[in-house]
Parts: sequence; structure tokens; C-alpha cells
Amino acid sequence: MTGTKTRPSRKSIVILLLLLALIAGGIFSAITGGRSDTGITQLWGVIFTPDSSLPQSVLRDIRLPRTFSAALLGVNLGLAGLALQAITRNPLASPAILGINQGAALGLTLSLIIPGLTGLSPDAMAVAGAMAAGVLTFAIAGGLRGKMDSMRLILGGVAVGAFAYAIVRFSFTLDDELARSVVRWTVGDIGYIRWPQTRWLAIWALAGLLCSFVLAQRFNLMALGQASAQGLGSDPRITLLLGTILAAALAGISVSVAGPIAFVGLVVPHIARIGFGADHRILVPATALTGAALMLLADGLSKWLSAPVETPIGVIAALIGAPWFLWLTLSTKESR
Amino acid sequence: MNWLLRALGATAIMAFATVTNAGEISHELGTTTVPDAPKRIVVLEFSFIDALASVGVSPVGIADDKKRDRIIPAYTDIIGTDWVSVGTRKTPSLEVIASLKPDLIIADKKRHSAAYETLSEIAPTIVLDSLAGDYHASVAQMGVIGQAIGKSAEMETRVAAHKATMADYIAKIGPKAANYSAQFGVTNAKGLWLHSPISYNGSLLKMFGFASNMKPKEGGVYEKTYVPTTLEQLSEVNPDILIFGEYVDPSHVDSWANEALYKGLAAVQYGQVFNVTAHNWSRLRGMLAAEMTAKDLLEIMSGLD
Repeated sequence: MTGTKTRPSRKSIVILLLLLALIAGGIFSAITGGRSDTGITQLWGVIFTPDSSLPQSVLRDIRLPRTFSAALLGVNLGLAGLALQAITRNPLASPAILGINQGAALGLTLSLIIPGLTGLSPDAMAVAGAMAAGVLTFAIAGGLRGKMDSMRLILGGVAVGAFAYAIVRFSFTLDDELARSVVRWTVGDIGYIRWPQTRWLAIWALAGLLCSFVLAQRFNLMALGQASAQGLGSDPRITLLLGTILAAALAGISVSVAGPIAFVGLVVPHIARIGFGADHRILVPATALTGAALMLLADGLSKWLSAPVETPIGVIAALIGAPWFLWLTLSTKESR
Repeated sequence: MNWLLRALGATAIMAFATVTNAGEISHELGTTTVPDAPKRIVVLEFSFIDALASVGVSPVGIADDKKRDRIIPAYTDIIGTDWVSVGTRKTPSLEVIASLKPDLIIADKKRHSAAYETLSEIAPTIVLDSLAGDYHASVAQMGVIGQAIGKSAEMETRVAAHKATMADYIAKIGPKAANYSAQFGVTNAKGLWLHSPISYNGSLLKMFGFASNMKPKEGGVYEKTYVPTTLEQLSEVNPDILIFGEYVDPSHVDSWANEALYKGLAAVQYGQVFNVTAHNWSRLRGMLAAEMTAKDLLEIMSGLD
């Protein structure tokens, strides 16, 4: 435990930066949008001098639920990535790479093209698809037998993801309007979100946060290796199962709301680890905050970049996430 | 300005087409030699059916999206129902097209440019800008198609009659239209797409004298013909008259019914939100299609002061 004296000060700077990014991202997301008469003044107005004017109602009824949803999506995707990276002990694990996002996309697409197929709601279909894809990938990697092979995990995930997405892409060739609906949703569009959807996301994010906290110690033990975890009295298969369910549920619900947003689940836990180390009890809230900040920034950019037309948030998230991840990979190698 | 350039360009193509040999047709992707009077024609967009029907020619194959009722009775009354479906407009089946042994294929610039070489191996292919072109371009294309199928004279007569019909509609609608801004959009379950001023419907509304509030900031022009639009963006456009084509019921727009911002739209407050048949307005383009649109607009405007 060296450096206990310097660590708090560094951490507090990181926390401060993170909170600043969160607030800045939140304001950026809330003050950008289609209407030129709704900006920072109205945001202040909503907080300090609420009235029933139209610009304020735009902020209250349209912008704020979207802003909160962007943050909550960041929380959900970040936590899903964190859980997957912990249980697989693989820094490359993320909902997109393990095929979970694509599985959710397939579930949702099926519910769109054959509405009465299972009687499940589109959201439930997305979670079911995510769960099925996750379990399939883990089965391919040998995870169900308690011995996960990293290489087979990634390869399995890529295969499952490619297969699921092939079927999603097939739907693009169907009826024009149906294809437009699916395409629109696959690029990640959250412009339709209002408070009811936000509440729904908030419940999931809160549940996800709680479950992640409960599992944090198990994740820490998992980091020592499956055998060591077992030796310390934590059955890795149970951690694996619970982690998968958690990640699939969080990724599934995010995908059903906003389409398959890639890279957030992959990058956010890495950024959090740089600032806060490897202890999952701290990483859980740190990842949640980092995910929220990143997605708020992405949402603001999505509305601002090519105004008056929106760039889908999924595209922006990938544009921020991909170079970040590349830089991360390269710089980690150099330091070794 | 953009629409003007497009109209000029289309007119130039048409003028060029008329001075070359009867069998040489200039189109978006070059010049194609076509037989004197093609008998087996395959069309890959609906506006080309409009062109064929207007001179009483029946295609052997149509990209009808595998839904035969997408070819409305106004067309089937003329072209019959003997065509073979060659698949969707987006991804027509090259095999089925080849099996029909066509002697002319009419394809769309935006949808089928990538397949131009392959289509040309099957049969002489001309490519016209239907999907992304405006109304004036679609009328100009009528002349090109008329020439390609060896019916220039008949087509000219029909185009002249169409222009007279439209002039009549403009005379009736125009004076009132000058007082309003109007906007057309299509909506499905997931979103609303406004048809921008450079689109087919946008240029039609402009021709009738409606203003468009769809103005990009700082003097830019819309590059896109179909613009995905949120409620907030729609409220910034805020036209006096809103015309929606709903592909599904309830549509994405219907989900806004109880929102303050939607209720605050000028068109909603004045009771000037109208529903039209999405298929006729959005998927169909051409002369008969434009006349149907004009009829709808006349009906809409006769209810207003």
C-alpha cells in the first residue's frame, strides 16, 4: 500500500474532472437542439424561475428527458461492459464484441417484422435476444463448464454477433417502411424519448448499479483467476451467470431504447480504470459516472454537429470511442 | 437556387436527347443505344410506370416491391396486370430481370447506379433520377422515356396536356397558397421524414405557390431530400399547413398528440393538419401522380379561407 498519501489527492482531481465533464456534458446536451429560442437562459429558467412558456416546456418535456436518458444509457452500457470485462477477465469484452448488442438488435428486429411472434414486448425481445447471444457466446468459449478460453470467447462473440446482425441487415431489404424503421433504430436514435422512457431507463440503471455493487467483491475475486476465486470460496460459475444476466439485461434494455451503441461499453470501464484503479467497489460508481459523462457529450455533439439535422448518437459514440480505444491500446503497449 | 439548377439540368438532358439519333438516349450515366420500339420493358421505379402508362405502354417487368397493389388502379387500368414482379425497388432481382429478356431497362440513379453495368449486360439500360429528383426533373424525364420507347410525339402531347392541367390547378390553388407556408412529411412507426424544398413534393408545393419554412441556417441549402425530423425540429419549421402521409396507424406523429409543443404548432392551432395517402404522395412520382397530388391540394385549400 505505497502511495496512500498521494492517491487521494490524485483521485480527488480525477473525481473533480469527472464531475465537471458530467455537468458540462449535461448542460451541452440540454441547451442544444432544434429550436433556436431554447438555450442556456431557458435551462436556468426551468431550474430557478419555472413558467409555462413554450421554450421552457421544450426544455422540460423534450430536452431534459433526453439528456437524462443519454446519461442513463451511458451508465447502463458502461456497467454492462464492466461486468463483462470482470467475469471474462478480458479487457476486450464488451456488449458489442460479445455479440450481445447484436443479439438484442435481432430480438428487436424480429419483434418489429413479425409483431405477434412471441407475444413479448419489443423491450423484452431485445433483452431475450441479448441474453441468448450472451449465453451462446459463453457456451462457445467453454464458460458454462467453468473454463473460459479468451480467444474462443472473442471469436465466438464475433461469430454470434455477425450472425445476428446478418439477419438484422436482411430486414433492410424487406418492405421499404419496415426497413426504414429498422435502419433508423440501428443507427441509434433517441430523439423520440420522453419522461416515461426515461423513468424506465432510470429504474434499470438503478437496479444495475445496485446489482453491480453487490457483485463488486465477486468481480474482484474473479480478477485473481477462476481457480483462485474458487479457492477463496466464490464459485466462478455463479459470478459468471449473474454477471452475464446483469450485462445482457443492461445492454438489452439500452439497445431496445437507443439501438446498438458500440464502443461505450468497451471504452468506459477502461477510462474509469485509469482514474480509479482496479477495485470494482470503486469502479462501479466511477464507470457509471464516466459512462454518463461520455454519453452526454455524445448527445450534445449529435444535435450540434450537423444541425439542423441530427447525427445519430450511436455514430458519435463510436467516433469518440474508437480513437480513444486505439490510443489506449497503443499507449498501454508502450508502457510495458 | 438548387431546384432551379436541377430543373435546368434536367431540361438540358431533355434538349440534348432530342438532338441525338432516335436510338441514342442520353441519361444520368451516359448514352445508351436503344432499339427503335422496345417491346419488353422493365422499370425499376414507380415514376417510370407513370411515364409508360401516360402513353399506353405496358412493361413486362416492374420492381413493385413484391406487392402488386402498389401499382394503383389508375395505372393498371392502362397497363393491365400481366407484369412480372422483379422484386423490390431497392434490391430488384437481376436474375428475374434477365429471365424476362427485356429490350429496355429503366433504372433509378440513386437506387440502381451500382448495378448499371450488370443491368446494361442484360439489356440497354437508361438511368434517370427519380427518387432524389424534383417534380420538374420528373416531367423532363417523361420526354427522355418517350424517346427511349419510340413514342416521342405521343409523350409530347401528353406532357402538354399535363402542363395545361397543372396550370389550371395552379390558377385555382395559387392565389390562396401565396398566403401560407406548407410542409409535407411521411411518418411510420419510428419517425417523421420531411420532404425538403429540393424534393419532389417540396418542388410541387413551391410550384403551387406555397412558401417553405424549411430553411437551413446561414443561407445553406438542404442537401437531403428526405430529412428525419424530431418534434422540436418540426416546431422550428412550424409551417401554417402540415400534410402528413401516414404509413402506419398509429404513426410516430400520432404519439405527439398530447404534447404541448405539438399543440403549439401553428398548423395544429389553426386546424390545418391534413392526412393524405402516403403511397400516392411519397412513393409515386410523375404526371398522373402529380395530378392526384394537385387534386388533394385543391381539396385541402378549398376548405381554407
